Amino acid sequence: MTRGGRRTPGAPAADDASTADRIHALETQVAELAAEVQECRALNLRLAELVDIVQELLLPVSMQDKEKVAELMERYTRSVG
Amino acid sequence: MSAVNVTDVHVDEDGVRARADGDVVLDVCFDGRRVWSFRLPRDGEQTGAGNRQLAWPTELHRFLHGVTRFSLVDHLRKEVIFETELRLGTSPSSSERIAVVDEGGRPLGVDKSGRLAQMFDTRTSHDVAPLLDSIEEVLRALAAAGVQAFAAYGTLLGAVRERRLIGHDSDADLAYVSAHSTPVDVVLESFALQRKLADMGYATTRYSGAAFRVGVTEADGSNRGLDVFAGFLRDGHLNLMGEVRAPFRREWVLPLATCLLEGRVLPAPANADAFLAATYGESWRVPDPAFKFSTPESTKRRLGGWFRGTRAKRTKWASIYRTHPFTPAALEPSAFARWVVEREGVATPIVDIGCGRGGDAYWMAERGAAVIGLDYVVSATREAARIAERRNLPVEFRFFNLAELRSVLGGSARIAHTPGPRIVTARHLVDTTGEIGRANLWRAVEMMLRDGGRCYLEFLVRGGRGEDFVRANLLKPLPMQQVVSELVARGAQVVHDEVQQIRNESTRGSRRIGRLVVEWNR
Repeated sequence: MTRGGRRTPGAPAADDASTADRIHALETQVAELAAEVQECRALNLRLAELVDIVQELLLPVSMQDKEKVAELMERYTRSVG
Repeated sequence: MSAVNVTDVHVDEDGVRARADGDVVLDVCFDGRRVWSFRLPRDGEQTGAGNRQLAWPTELHRFLHGVTRFSLVDHLRKEVIFETELRLGTSPSSSERIAVVDEGGRPLGVDKSGRLAQMFDTRTSHDVAPLLDSIEEVLRALAAAGVQAFAAYGTLLGAVRERRLIGHDSDADLAYVSAHSTPVDVVLESFALQRKLADMGYATTRYSGAAFRVGVTEADGSNRGLDVFAGFLRDGHLNLMGEVRAPFRREWVLPLATCLLEGRVLPAPANADAFLAATYGESWRVPDPAFKFSTPESTKRRLGGWFRGTRAKRTKWASIYRTHPFTPAALEPSAFARWVVEREGVATPIVDIGCGRGGDAYWMAERGAAVIGLDYVVSATREAARIAERRNLPVEFRFFNLAELRSVLGGSARIAHTPGPRIVTARHLVDTTGEIGRANLWRAVEMMLRDGGRCYLEFLVRGGRGEDFVRANLLKPLPMQQVVSELVARGAQVVHDEVQQIRNESTRGSRRIGRLVVEWNR
């Protein structure tokens, strides 16, 4: 739209162009944010799977060898941080 | 209710065409038995002049050879709108009556998801008694596990509306509203419930992080599913797997009320009306065998984001195996399996990931290798397993799902638990699974080769467009360099690579097949 005055038919107004650019930028941003929200949501299932397997399988299996568990824990904690 | 006029009905090899001046649900009957329902005008494709065309559902195709009394029935008014003697197909058997039945002769119909199933309208009360027993038993097990489950979806609808299982339904649905409000806790709870039921001896299949199916065998040996859906309340809304997000209050569920189904008293939500309205909308009182959920995109995004992603073409593969029955040719080895055995001999244990019907695994076991075949459609390996057992061959088939981290870590750890080097094979797996599947495959192979050994891969590198083999195996080309980069990034070393060109006379094209042998040196 033009604010006052007439523009030549067919010639894009500067305001129209900048509005279109802004809408395009916002659409891109919304799409990116939506994808990021989905990424975050997907972590629920991943986290639950990890917690479940550690709780149900890996930890009890490993606990049979206490020295090895201690060694693994030590190595692990050294590698974190 | 005023009658809707359905006119210009035509039926042939392509499907059914008709014109309706209003909204109507129509049953397609063969020799007087319903095999499919649809809704006009919603489900039809416009073919000009107001006519709507409906193609025969894919799952019905293999039955459409022969003669039948075709009738089109207004579902609500129970009125026959059109009737004709119909002949389909040109095969020698086309003078026989069309019989839409399973291998045991039990009647089948197309369900709301387009799959063939045994509808309740063909079952006697004696047939469904084991299902009702199981519903009660599973409800008790869920209660013992700490959730107050109740009849939901079609099962609740049938109980409230007719006090019986809905004729056009084919499974039973239970649900519970979790005390948790965070999806991760809801998933953990669902995992624990499935484990409890598996411990009780039920066959279970997981559909998502918030739903699983309990397998039940009916009186005549038919298999029936009992789906257990998780729901939870958050921000004043009920989120119920797999289609519902609606404003809701906890007191509309608890304390549970009761409903009557086929003479049994079952738990129901405190306010079944509100629950059914949240599930199906306000029109839930009107029967509709062609019902389709019109779930808002935002609900699909939420439920999908939180809970879905572990099926990854599993339904498609299950359908392929179901519609292409096993033949002995499935036990013939691929050129890839011969190549692996030529290079390795047979003494080393072999794990075949994505083994399909288990033909290569079976053949390698015949050559003397101890083989474990892994696949997420484990029913596809049933025949190979049966024959191998009879012949005392050292092959075992296990469930393994590359899209499910628990399966990848647990299954791989179980294999790695037996010490020693092994061979891992994966034929046309990296080119059909997705990015997450591949990442998990590399993780699994690395775990399985903890004590040494090699991994053999074969995949489509380029071409193959229009080829039956590529289409049937759901393949997408994957550049050799990409696969190599992914493996190297995980610490693997490529010890052999080759690309073969395979010409296809019928398409006059060709496809390039890549082969890799990789190791992890520690």
